[in-house]
Amino acid sequence: MKSIRRVQKLITAMLLIFLAAFAFLIYRLQTEAGFYISNASKVSLGFVYDRNGDVLFDQNADAQIYGNDYFIDIGNLIGDDSRQMNNTLVAQNIGKLANFSFMLGEQEDGKAAIYCTLDHKVNRQVYHAFGKKDGCAIAYNYKTGEIYLCLSKPSVNILNHYEDIASLKEGSLLCKVFYPTVPGSTQKVSTTIAALESMGYDTLIGKRYDCDGAYTNQSGKEIKCHLSDGHGEQDIFKAFANSCNPFFAQLVEDSDFPLHDIEKTYQKMGYLVNGNGKQNYLDINGISAFTASTSLQDKTDFNTQWGCMGQGETLVSPLQLMVWQSAIANQTGTATYPYLISYITKVNGKLDFQAETSFSSQMFSEETAGHMREIMLQNGRENYSRLLPGTDVGIKSGTAQVKNGEKENSLLVGFVDDENFPIAFCIQIDDRVSGEVSTSDIAKVLLQNLHESLTEE
Amino acid sequence: MYKNKLNYSSAVILLFLTHLSMLGLVFIRGSIAAPINFLKLTGAVVGLDVGYLLLTLCYKQMTYTLDFMLLCILNMSLIFQSCFGGIGLSVKHLISCIMCLASCEAGFLLTRNHEWIRKQKKYIYLIILLLFISIIFFTDNQKKWITIGSFSIQPSEFIKPCFILVCAASIVELHKKLKILFFYISKDSLILCIVALFIFALQWWCRDLGSLPTFGVIFGCALICRFCYPKAKLSKRTVAIGCAVCALILIAAWSFAPEYVQKRLHVDIWADRYGDGYQQCEALIGIAKGGWLGVGAGNGSLHKIFAHDSDIVFATICEEWGLLNAALTVMLILIMLMTVLMNPPKNYYHAMMTAGVTAAFLMQMSLNIFGSCNLIPFTGVTLPFISTGGSSMMSCGFLVGMLKAGQSPLFQHEVLKRRRQKQHQKAHKAAQKQKKVNA
Repeated sequence: MKSIRRVQKLITAMLLIFLAAFAFLIYRLQTEAGFYISNASKVSLGFVYDRNGDVLFDQNADAQIYGNDYFIDIGNLIGDDSRQMNNTLVAQNIGKLANFSFMLGEQEDGKAAIYCTLDHKVNRQVYHAFGKKDGCAIAYNYKTGEIYLCLSKPSVNILNHYEDIASLKEGSLLCKVFYPTVPGSTQKVSTTIAALESMGYDTLIGKRYDCDGAYTNQSGKEIKCHLSDGHGEQDIFKAFANSCNPFFAQLVEDSDFPLHDIEKTYQKMGYLVNGNGKQNYLDINGISAFTASTSLQDKTDFNTQWGCMGQGETLVSPLQLMVWQSAIANQTGTATYPYLISYITKVNGKLDFQAETSFSSQMFSEETAGHMREIMLQNGRENYSRLLPGTDVGIKSGTAQVKNGEKENSLLVGFVDDENFPIAFCIQIDDRVSGEVSTSDIAKVLLQNLHESLTEE
Repeated sequence: MYKNKLNYSSAVILLFLTHLSMLGLVFIRGSIAAPINFLKLTGAVVGLDVGYLLLTLCYKQMTYTLDFMLLCILNMSLIFQSCFGGIGLSVKHLISCIMCLASCEAGFLLTRNHEWIRKQKKYIYLIILLLFISIIFFTDNQKKWITIGSFSIQPSEFIKPCFILVCAASIVELHKKLKILFFYISKDSLILCIVALFIFALQWWCRDLGSLPTFGVIFGCALICRFCYPKAKLSKRTVAIGCAVCALILIAAWSFAPEYVQKRLHVDIWADRYGDGYQQCEALIGIAKGGWLGVGAGNGSLHKIFAHDSDIVFATICEEWGLLNAALTVMLILIMLMTVLMNPPKNYYHAMMTAGVTAAFLMQMSLNIFGSCNLIPFTGVTLPFISTGGSSMMSCGFLVGMLKAGQSPLFQHEVLKRRRQKQHQKAHKAAQKQKKVNA
């Protein structure tokens, strides 16, 4: 009888395992049904709205209803259900947009919808401010994480249904805000943070280096300054404002600033250093955003110094450049994670998801954040006071050499020092030459229009 | 006596109510193009119910629980299969259901006497050998089917009940053990292992890799019972060597598996939606469309997909009848398997046999349901009692017959009979002694 009982136990165990797996299957089927149905050849999808109720996605949109260029500024960010672009808000959240419930099936007049944090009106204004130039821009609330503005030019007009796909400019189907780019001198923000962490504020402000237009480093390579006559003797405030390359080359070589400290701070900030480990990505409601990577081999080596100044092998996404600003502006050393979706409603109109503010781990100390903020604000006061009259703005500009130095991208990162208008931003203009629209021109349009729009709210 | 004895009339009413309510649903929500088709289906379902119940009146059983449950499931299956893509009686499936019922009785009659069936072990091995030969020499290009006219038979389906029977027989008997390498093994167990290896090799050769796990789990059950046998010596070394052998087999299987199998093990079905993931993607979309209550019999779209009535039949039922109905059908099959727990076998052979049957059914259900829903790799095996296929239905019927036999009180009867005989002999001897004393 013992043997029979043992067999009975075996049968019971097998039945229980099956039952558990079957229960899991039922749970999975009914929770993922929205995703499955969104992959059906024809399915009714809800709308995506901006923060003011403007439509950002309509499954049945056409030019007669919305006008031909209505979606152009958000084509490669919000995307559509055509599956031409994968890293877009609609493609990544299509299951939540399906007007479908497992109990009632498909509902043509369902209330499934995504409510975004974007301000479409300002987004369009900034998009058009680029004029003939290409580039990208992003701005968010560094206290809450709401992305107010995000665009990438060239973009795609989804109302054309990809009929002109062959004639689209390179990069039209990607929102460049989320992809790696050479950061140029905006990288000096990270290097200054690493220096503050390593040697402390008092030691750093005591450092003085000469710039006579070029500096020959310890390995015999020359690092040129953008001012051929040189800036003379520089401290960190002046060098940061002047974006002085010889100063930063000498800073990196300084014995008070070990390479290991740079590496440690960079890694805390999210850089992949020397390819050791796995590349970090930020998740923006399903959209995957590159963080940063660089190479640090030897502090006397040209490429390492060049990387610390944001050239060569250093790559950062504009989104990440903006996110670091939140850690500085908040004086906490922890970044506020950005998000695009404010809330989502189900097919029956009930709330399905509500965004919450979240923060990164400690990237650098509060003290460092405070000092860095002061350095950036001083630069803003001295050189960028026209951006938002009456309000201090912390700023760092940069020029990134791309395509082996054949072209130069212009970048600007910063934050507004205002409790009621806590905006951090990053702007990039591709292949900019002197005399064309500048990043500060666009920053002005961005900040002033956004301020006006948010004040109206 | 049986613990799961049902009131006969209540069971009959329940059976009819189930089928009539399903037919009612077809009438209300189904897509009936021609009323005659619906009438034919109703006639077939009611006819099968009445016919089988009348037949059961001809011979008395201790219980009708399993008979009722099997009949209930088979007629549900007939209704499902007749409604895929439009209402119309599936005569082929009706024949399969009748064959299933017949082979259930055959299975019961052949295996209810555990002592007799145990003695037939060598003949069962012979049947397995004949099935081997038929697969090697008489099957088609795919090495799966023997085609005779318009009929096709899948011999590997019939190996399943035979393999369960030889497993049970070999494990139950205690034999003198021989030392081979590090193992003490009996001659019978050795033969069983060799036969199992041949079966696995044959399935591999036929590329019928979907059936491999079913045979594997039957053999695994036998091995577990062998190792856990009360008198078995189970050292740590034996366990370690056993685990190492299993791991080696799995690694070898992985390394030598055909490319399409390896691809299926890690395919992202949504990324390869119109390639290797096509059936599963469509199945999942169909399940989502059906929701809890389904789109109505005959109103689904999965009937356009290949193997909608066999490999992805669970999804097709979900789409037309809803996940609720599909889950209830699965639960009904599970309850049928659970009757073994309510009314345990009376001897070790039948216990082993029922364990093998349960394992085979559960594995096949898992492969079909979880495979089509992308929880595990898609193998393309049938769902017992529900999928089309005469060979599968006959094999399943025979296995249910074995399950029924496992609950047979025959063993107890024989013991009582022997006890009575012994008492009778003792009394007889005592009477003779008494006579002698008196004389």
